[in-house]
Amino acid sequence: MNRQEIFEKLKEIAELTVQDPAVLANMNEDSDLSTDLGLSSVGMLYIVIAIEEMFYIRMDDVSFGDFRTVRDVVDYIEKKIAE
Amino acid sequence: MFEQYTDPVTYAKIVDWPNVTAMWRNSLKEYGKNLAVEDGETALTYEELDARVAAMRGALKAQGIERGDRVGVFALNGCGFVVSYLAIVTSGACAALLPPQLDGMTVAGLSRMFGLKALVVDAALKAKLPDPMPVATLGTDAQGEPAEAVEVQPEDPCVIMFTGGTTGRSKGALLSNRAVMTGTKYGCYGIREIFEQRYFLVLPLTHVFGLIRNLMACLYTGSALHICRNNKDMFREIAMFRPTVWVVVPALAEMALNLSRQFKRNMLGDSMKTIICGAAPVAPYLVREYHKLGIDLFPGYGLTESANLVSGNPDNLNRPESVGLPFPGQELKIVDGELWLKGPNMMDGYVGNPQENAAAFEDGWFKTGDLARFDEDGFLYITGRTKEIIVLSNGENVSPAEVEAKFNELETVQDSLVTAENDVLVLEVVPRNTVLMTKGLQDPIAYLREQLNEVNRVLPTYQRVAKIVIRDTDFKRSPSMKILRNQK
Repeated sequence: MNRQEIFEKLKEIAELTVQDPAVLANMNEDSDLSTDLGLSSVGMLYIVIAIEEMFYIRMDDVSFGDFRTVRDVVDYIEKKIAE
Repeated sequence: MFEQYTDPVTYAKIVDWPNVTAMWRNSLKEYGKNLAVEDGETALTYEELDARVAAMRGALKAQGIERGDRVGVFALNGCGFVVSYLAIVTSGACAALLPPQLDGMTVAGLSRMFGLKALVVDAALKAKLPDPMPVATLGTDAQGEPAEAVEVQPEDPCVIMFTGGTTGRSKGALLSNRAVMTGTKYGCYGIREIFEQRYFLVLPLTHVFGLIRNLMACLYTGSALHICRNNKDMFREIAMFRPTVWVVVPALAEMALNLSRQFKRNMLGDSMKTIICGAAPVAPYLVREYHKLGIDLFPGYGLTESANLVSGNPDNLNRPESVGLPFPGQELKIVDGELWLKGPNMMDGYVGNPQENAAAFEDGWFKTGDLARFDEDGFLYITGRTKEIIVLSNGENVSPAEVEAKFNELETVQDSLVTAENDVLVLEVVPRNTVLMTKGLQDPIAYLREQLNEVNRVLPTYQRVAKIVIRDTDFKRSPSMKILRNQK
């Protein structure tokens, strides 16, 4: 799975948590999870659970608070898939 | 009123217990061999759990803890928390339950404020505490010579629950054994199958909904409790444990629904029959959507100060927007739109806080701060809040004044305001230009934004804001210069 595919899947996940369609349309790798996407703590939890389910990975070695931007999340997934 | 929603044999088993010790002894007698708690690799029956509790009581006794003393618990959700809490209250002492997200200095301060004689600390949290601490500490795994449980009077203090303050300071609500046991009994009403169930815990045990409706109702009914330590693992653990009851805040109930939609399967599994939903407003659509999955979602209403549940809605499908019928034994009245309460489940007061107590009570009535109405059949509806506290849909109570104070510490901030929009916290800031402009910065606003982000990043998760707005005008203010919160 390449970087673009990971991003597209993440966007698919975000569709059920990011409320504002305009924000979702503008989502890119630089988007800040908290201040740009407006994710609440439950929104963050949703994304972690969905990532684990969708990418068949376990995020036991990281806390979602460690991620600031979408890029950080894509980097992490890319690394985990490669392991 | 609730009799019709439960079969007569089950209903007859919902009885009063004068204190936690009496209830615990009954559960041991009736359900000794049942699974009581499952936490990771640890699984204990009621009898096995009792052996651990008795050993912990011995350790407390060795520390000189006696009936009437106050002992803190600073622990993560886990078997150690359950053992510590039960050992303290069945020793006749009062357990002050301190949220694990508190920093060490706050815990030390609260230990003094609550007059704790000892503090039981989780190994994982010990490093947070200052050295020395103002009280003796012992681990959640402390053991001594097994000691007998102590029966106390119903009015004897049982727990101090930490609750968000309305005036910028958090408070400790003192609940007696009578209040805790009444709240626990209330949790058993209105549900057809309530005894010997399988409960799934994701709520913090330091929150009244987690402690009373989840843990205590579970132990009262001889049920099993699975403790989920990391919420991200909840659906894997649900698949393994196959719970029948989930006590949860609306945001998590909605998250489970959305995940079920995304992955096209019921994430809660086919064993789940009942969801008890509260601590924040419950959207009627949750009731309807869960009904389609064959799960009854019951909205309820409660407060820390009322030992959790005041009402529960057994007629959830016909009136999903109601928080239900008040549980028997309470008095409720509406004064200028605000709900006032009296009853055996009410707290004795906020510890060491006469000012807040004076503001909260009037002629023995507790003023909830919630706006409410009844329908013609006596069903209760919550319509808003009179107080400034922000309640997010995940059940977190956030005092905006507390969060604003953190940002106001920056010299570059003139004033700030925290509100909730679309269920997330939004910070608005008026910059202190007199300071900002003297720094010779190329982009002062970007500098300020970065400073605010830095403060935000180190706040406890539940206090973090999701959006920051830097204003170029001041807030609207009252004659005494207070920000008019609803007229920004």
